[in-house]
Amino acid sequence: MDLRFSDEDLDFRARARDWLAANVPGTPRPAGGHAASQFDRDWQKKLYEHGWAGVAWPKDFGGMGLSGLQQVIWYEELSRAHAPAAHISTTYVAQMHAGPTIIARGTEEQKAYHLPRILSGEALWCQGFSEPNAGSDLAALRTSGRVEGDHIVVNGAKMWTTDAMHADWMELLIRTDPASQRHKGLTWLAFDMKTPGIDIKPIRTMLLDEHVNMVFFDEVRVPLSAVVGQLHGGWSTAMATLSFERGLGFIADQLELFEKVGRAVRLAGEMRGPDGLPLIEDVEVARKLAAIKAETMAIRAMTLADIAETDRTGMPGPKGSMMKLKVTATHKALTRLVSDILGWQFFEFDGNRDNNPWTHDFLWSWVFSIAGGSSEIQREITADRVLELPRSR
Amino acid sequence: MYLAPEGEELEIAAAAADFIADALPIERLHQGAGPDMGAELRASLGEMGWFALALPEGDGGSGLSAVEHALFFREVGRQCGPLDILVQALACLSTYDGGLRAALIAGEQGAALLVPDGMGHRLIGAADARYGLAVMHQGAALHDLAVAKIEPRPALDPANSLAIVNDPGPVIDSIEGAYIWQLGQVGVAAMLLGLAEAALDAIVEYAKVRETFGKPIGAWQAVRHACADMAVSNEGARAQLWYAATALKEGRGDAQAHLDAAKHLANEAALFATDATIQLHGGIGVTDEHNAHLLMKHAALLARLFGGRNELLASLLHAELED
Repeated sequence: MDLRFSDEDLDFRARARDWLAANVPGTPRPAGGHAASQFDRDWQKKLYEHGWAGVAWPKDFGGMGLSGLQQVIWYEELSRAHAPAAHISTTYVAQMHAGPTIIARGTEEQKAYHLPRILSGEALWCQGFSEPNAGSDLAALRTSGRVEGDHIVVNGAKMWTTDAMHADWMELLIRTDPASQRHKGLTWLAFDMKTPGIDIKPIRTMLLDEHVNMVFFDEVRVPLSAVVGQLHGGWSTAMATLSFERGLGFIADQLELFEKVGRAVRLAGEMRGPDGLPLIEDVEVARKLAAIKAETMAIRAMTLADIAETDRTGMPGPKGSMMKLKVTATHKALTRLVSDILGWQFFEFDGNRDNNPWTHDFLWSWVFSIAGGSSEIQREITADRVLELPRSR
Repeated sequence: MYLAPEGEELEIAAAAADFIADALPIERLHQGAGPDMGAELRASLGEMGWFALALPEGDGGSGLSAVEHALFFREVGRQCGPLDILVQALACLSTYDGGLRAALIAGEQGAALLVPDGMGHRLIGAADARYGLAVMHQGAALHDLAVAKIEPRPALDPANSLAIVNDPGPVIDSIEGAYIWQLGQVGVAAMLLGLAEAALDAIVEYAKVRETFGKPIGAWQAVRHACADMAVSNEGARAQLWYAATALKEGRGDAQAHLDAAKHLANEAALFATDATIQLHGGIGVTDEHNAHLLMKHAALLARLFGGRNELLASLLHAELED
């Protein structure tokens, strides 16, 4: 065992820190709308122009080819520099899902077309996996694709599509073989959001935002050249996407928690209880904060352990589900505690995350423990793949 | 950066697992074995050098580190091994001359733990131990128990003797510095981790064979999800312990904070896993013949030592951490 980063890693950290200190945008990311997605595109373009795009991508495809540990360092430095957070950017699906999937399964033409556009921030992507009747049970999806000559005609509805209105492309998973069941007969499409026949309806969440959407497809014609991987072989393509996300997709969330605990401790030093004393002197508040701090230390250790292992084996292990369970539970505990620390300020909320970030995060804690595989699904995956218990389904 | 046993660490962990499972299997506690390690086992542990893993070679040790120490005590914990094995290892840090350290390393003389209790002390470990070790944050005192009046008490935890000692006798050596406390934290946290892992392993194996309503209980989500929660809490405790033991080995400035977090997470993981394993086993889990209660009782004791919850959390809150 060894906690020391290599000289190469330390050098990378120093370079990242210097560049970020000089280049992080001076204005905060707008809370939403077109302004937010334009901000994300601009930041991505800046990263691209200075050689900091595609941290997780191989060099052959224009990425930086960083090791997992260097990616951890990159996200730590982003957080330290208060740089735009990668995991709440409209570039996330393109960077973390679509790009890696096209790298793994795309044709040469698809790679040549899409990858540079993703890296430069020119193309934003959204995800079309979940449906009204296929969430945790993704293989129950029913949006259909009828093959007609050199086109696929799509009908159905997708749900929980984040930032659909800003996206240029969608990773669209549909059922192309009408006789098929479950995981068979699916196809993964690189879908152009300008195609006629789609209708985007925002879903207002309890956060009072409209970032997620339903997307309806009515006789939408897609060329066969949009198929990534095999026609009717989309499950395999989709799993390539999800395994990537489970390996590295939550690093930024994991590391951001560390920073949030620090903020909560400072807040508890400022806010006063009914007795007039700073809340940090309240023994219950202090102990709960310290226990959450210990959890975030464990999360960082788990992240480093898992990523160092993946760097050696080249294969993401099954531990991502355990990480997501711990991160989401700890995030929930932290936001609950801060809701008490904040007093009446907690109850002021206008839907803008910048105006009251803690109340926003409190509400978001449920999104976090449901989206990307709910905690119940993560426990199932852990029971299957880590503990190898008898199957429940 | 690598946070799992590798290379020679794996060999030491495997050797420790074999030795402890053979010399000190948890089944001993169902077969009339008494508490503590006893003179015979103490001598054979000494002969193998297990007490002095983290001691420099020049001082008669193996010249290894807190990491190997952790790997060894995880195996001790897994078999519900007694605390005095760790106390013996800590007492070996004494620099008192006159052959005392050599006798401790060889297991010729025993040491038990002294813990303050009201106006006096509790003694955890064999009443025939020659030495009592009282460990504090910044050092330890080694008492000669030869003339101490030791009042044995019935012990909840069958792995360790418990006694009251009002006057633990003369201090024959003071061991300066935080290292002995830190090595104690690593050892107890590792024992708790081993206990937590054993508790999870036991229910996972049972869940594959025990059937209810026509299915193995491991196919019911009520059982699967509780096991998954145990796995998550064990994983966090394990990763943090490896981090902390390595921080101590490398002399990092934030080692104490990482040790406090590791001990806290090991406490929580062991208390949770030993509780859950009894519950999920059902009726058999509350019987004396089962291992589950042995793990639970041992975990309850160890969670108090080298930092209980309140003490650890108080020191952790404002601790600064390095990259």
